[in-house]
Amino acid sequence: MKALLDRVWLRQLAALIIAVALWEGAGRAGWLNPLYAPEPSAVARALIELFRGGTIWPHLEATFAAALAGLILGLVVGTLLGVAAAMVPLIAEILEPVMLLLNAVPRVVLAPLFVIWLGIDLGSKIAVAFIMVAVLIFFTVFTGIKQVDRRLVERVITLGGGRGALLREVYLPSVVAWIMGNLKVAVGFAFTGAVVGEFVAASRGLGYLLSFAQSTYNAALMLALVLLIMGFVLLLFALAGRLERRLLRWRD
Amino acid sequence: MLRVDGLSLAYDQHIPVLEGASLAVEAGHFVSLVGPSGSGKSSLLRAIMGLQQPLAGTIETALAPHEIGILFQDDALLPWRTAVENVALGLRLHGTGRARAIEAATGWLARLGLAGFGDRFPRALSGGQRKRVALAQVLALQPRLLLMDEPFASLDAIVRARVTQQLVSLVEAQGTTVLLVTHDLEEAIALSDRVYLLSHGPRAHISQCYEVAIARPRDVVRARTDPAFAPLLEKLWHDLSHEVASEGETASA
Repeated sequence: MKALLDRVWLRQLAALIIAVALWEGAGRAGWLNPLYAPEPSAVARALIELFRGGTIWPHLEATFAAALAGLILGLVVGTLLGVAAAMVPLIAEILEPVMLLLNAVPRVVLAPLFVIWLGIDLGSKIAVAFIMVAVLIFFTVFTGIKQVDRRLVERVITLGGGRGALLREVYLPSVVAWIMGNLKVAVGFAFTGAVVGEFVAASRGLGYLLSFAQSTYNAALMLALVLLIMGFVLLLFALAGRLERRLLRWRD
Repeated sequence: MLRVDGLSLAYDQHIPVLEGASLAVEAGHFVSLVGPSGSGKSSLLRAIMGLQQPLAGTIETALAPHEIGILFQDDALLPWRTAVENVALGLRLHGTGRARAIEAATGWLARLGLAGFGDRFPRALSGGQRKRVALAQVLALQPRLLLMDEPFASLDAIVRARVTQQLVSLVEAQGTTVLLVTHDLEEAIALSDRVYLLSHGPRAHISQCYEVAIARPRDVVRARTDPAFAPLLEKLWHDLSHEVASEGETASA
């Protein structure tokens, strides 16, 4: 028993089980109002119900589609703009203040605007996820290129490399490293954007379900949806982590 | 091989470093440049390499740019390339195919005592090993003139002696011409055929030139017990102290 508890994750798991058990016990003893704090078993039932009826699939699909499309678009556009700004001073002069402004506000405030512009369908959700990710990646790439290791640049030049070689040997791997370093944050941002977009106005998606659960005072469903979103984001984190380890093998 | 005449250099093109420096390096010679810190030793190498524009003076080499190699003080290996890929990089940039470049690079790593380390990334190498990879990277291009800017300053004494011996044996065998910048007088004498002393900066110039009469091939440790070594070190040390002292006078004047 003592040896078992030497592992950090085991101690963490034990603490979680104890907390959930206490919560469950308090609920069954009638100490908690089920309207506000339903016990874990009720949340689990709500979660199972979502899958058993098959009602969850179109919503999951909508949220995933919006988050992934926004993530990919954000990565591509953020990288392109970051590279352009780092290479062309004029572009940096124009883009940087805009990006700074977008970075200064919580970008989800744009969600209602996107709904007006793009309607309540997928487009407005992709747009929120996109703007969340693109600004992050823009700064990652833009500041990254400006801080690229000068010694590496000189090394490649003195070994006889030209612009193409510099791009391939120094800038591209550096940019990949910075983006990978922020990929998990970007995944989280993309989901935030998609769910908030759905929360504002939608007919499908996890954010829409959340909004529905809220309007019907269904706390068990809300908690079940929060757990579900956590689970999927953790799954994507794990995938991003694998990609990061694979592409940044040289760091270990 | 290399002739520098009346060279003047400045940091950022306006803070004077070097003024009217002249030196000559003959083919196959190992020449060292010593001097107080801030005397522009590194700037001189950068200027020869074309990384810095001179204010005045000329730099003449009968060499194409790819025939000059340079090794900086801080090794700058590409962290995302393995040791062997780093060594092959210069060859690949000059159009050698990947397979042949890797093969040649593997040979250079072996020559520098790094056989079996080719697949490691720089992060997984020690400081001395990284330095030898950087050396192999430059030597793989078989430069006719090798410029080095305090390349071994960060290494501990034993590793340093081993790496310098490997370097000296290789350049002796290849007949490579070397210009080494160092602040280590003993190293300068033990390795070189000629040592130049720079005056203190700003506006440093070459103030002395010493010929080193120690036979080749050399053992860099045994060279220090050669009868010619001690008197030359004494003289160099005396002259350098004089430079550093006169720097104090100009500063207080």
